[in-house]
Amino acid sequence: MSHVAIALARFDDESPFIRARTRAHAEGFDILGEWGPYASDIFSDPDDTRPIVWTVAITGIIGAVAMFALATFTTYAYPFNSGDRPLFSWQVFLIPATEFLALAGAIGGMIALFLKAGLTRLNHPAFDLEEVAHASRDSFVLVLGCDSGSRANLAIDLLAQTGAFHTRLVEA
Amino acid sequence: MEAHVRDTGRRWTLPSVTGFDHVTETVLTPLMDRRASRNYWIAFGISFVIAAIGFFAIGWSITVGPGLWGNNTSVVWGFPIANYVWWIGIGNAGTLISSLLLLTRQHWRASINRFAEAMTLFAVSMAGIFPILHLGRQTYFYWMAPYPSTMTIWPQWRSALVWDFWAILCYLLFSILFFYVGLIPDLAALRDRPGRTGWRKFYGFLAMGWQGSAKQWRAQERLHRSLAVLAVPLVCSVHSIVGLDFAASLTPGWIESIFPPYFVVGALFSGFAVVVLIALVLRWAMQLDGIIVPAHFDAMAKILLAASVVMGASYCSEWFTAAWSGEAAELRIVDFEFNGAYRPLYLAMLACNVLSPQLFWVPRLRTHVPTLIGVSLAVLIGMWLERILIIMETLSTGYMPSFFRLYSATFVDFAILAGTLAAFVWLFLVFARIIPVCSLYETRKLLASERSAQS
Repeated sequence: MSHVAIALARFDDESPFIRARTRAHAEGFDILGEWGPYASDIFSDPDDTRPIVWTVAITGIIGAVAMFALATFTTYAYPFNSGDRPLFSWQVFLIPATEFLALAGAIGGMIALFLKAGLTRLNHPAFDLEEVAHASRDSFVLVLGCDSGSRANLAIDLLAQTGAFHTRLVEA
Repeated sequence: MEAHVRDTGRRWTLPSVTGFDHVTETVLTPLMDRRASRNYWIAFGISFVIAAIGFFAIGWSITVGPGLWGNNTSVVWGFPIANYVWWIGIGNAGTLISSLLLLTRQHWRASINRFAEAMTLFAVSMAGIFPILHLGRQTYFYWMAPYPSTMTIWPQWRSALVWDFWAILCYLLFSILFFYVGLIPDLAALRDRPGRTGWRKFYGFLAMGWQGSAKQWRAQERLHRSLAVLAVPLVCSVHSIVGLDFAASLTPGWIESIFPPYFVVGALFSGFAVVVLIALVLRWAMQLDGIIVPAHFDAMAKILLAASVVMGASYCSEWFTAAWSGEAAELRIVDFEFNGAYRPLYLAMLACNVLSPQLFWVPRLRTHVPTLIGVSLAVLIGMWLERILIIMETLSTGYMPSFFRLYSATFVDFAILAGTLAAFVWLFLVFARIIPVCSLYETRKLLASERSAQS
């Protein structure tokens, strides 16, 4: 849907932000973006973030198996007799494998985070919005897309009524 | 600092902390706008000088050899391993505290998790020095890494030394990632706050383009929790491995199945003592009274009390195991603990680790600053004594009477210990000037939940 304007609002608390978000949904506005100073519960969406958990789990398991295989291979490659203990001492091979599981999972998770959250993008159009800079410090920010001039005014009214302390209309 | 931390109406934040911006400014103003105080520079200078002396002692030890230490042919481990175990214990606690409290949804962690995690990074770095030093031939420490050498020699995976190598390496790198994931949103706050351009660019680079959008929060929160799930078993395994360094041997006093859990609880115990001390210093020095409140000290004191009871039970278990087994060498170790040459140190350890935290049964003392400082210091001293006594008592009285030999540390031993302590303090002072010492976004969330609960 093409938008003729976008309405921006800042909220100093979570509840007016949630109210505005709910009403905007109900009244058919497109929510183009939402930012917050912390991870509000309404942002959560288990389905959206499931790939991160899977990435952590799979990279962790691959790391652990690789480490176990490395320990096994190198023990036979250099068959050192240590107090007549068996070469294939799998119990102790599990120790570095367990440690590496966590590290490999964390590295995989970081990569997944960067991909999923679009990080390392130091220059993003959102940074041109002055309001977004406040999201990291003190405000919730909501951006609504408006498909006509009258809808834009409605959007601004909606945002002000639900408790925004700052609103702005930007022509698209 | 007032003798009693004042009680408040709200539980985890003071009413004086009014909004999200207030949280941001409370934590960031001392960091970015205020010049470091005279006390800061004095502490900075003193810690730097002591650390330099310590690192000179390390350099001297590398040049001359372990003959400079108190280690002898019987007590072959001495200070380096005791210091290693002590530091890794403190290092374990930061990530354990942070991840356990995150998983159990203890929102009060917001005020303490950041510096607890920083404590982990610095303490593990200090811990990592000692096994390398203890090798004697430090230039070959990389032989513990599996790489295709020309002589086709591979690491000895059945050796506790290699277990330690992987434990420290993986744990340190994991902790850095865990710390960084929690730090990204706060780096963005530093980037977006008016201030010097150079620093903002620096923070902007580290923030990696974080905006605080719903999508980013979802991903960050999910990964943070996933890493916390990995962190808890990792931390337990790291210190269990340290426990196994001892327990996997066939030496009386060490070959005990209780060692791994006993070491993990000891790590939590000493780590929380350091967290209490750091919290008190930061609260005073950075005026964080609104964010680090009496309830935090009350909660941490209760954990110290609980851990001290477990420690007491562990000591009893050691004595009971020796008595129940009837093994002469085990009984001799217990007898040596109470009647031998190290008896004053052993009794001091019991007083510090088991008796002193019992003061926290009195609710008033759990928020009494001198008591908190005294007990935390006692716990740290007690835990260090425990580490050195595990080594000294067993190795001084092994199976062979002809090997019985006492241990006494040298100036170089003490200089290295003091040097690492000072280096830890120095690193922390640098950290407190660069990174927000409390998690901004989690404190904001805590504030929001407290405000909504009030209204």
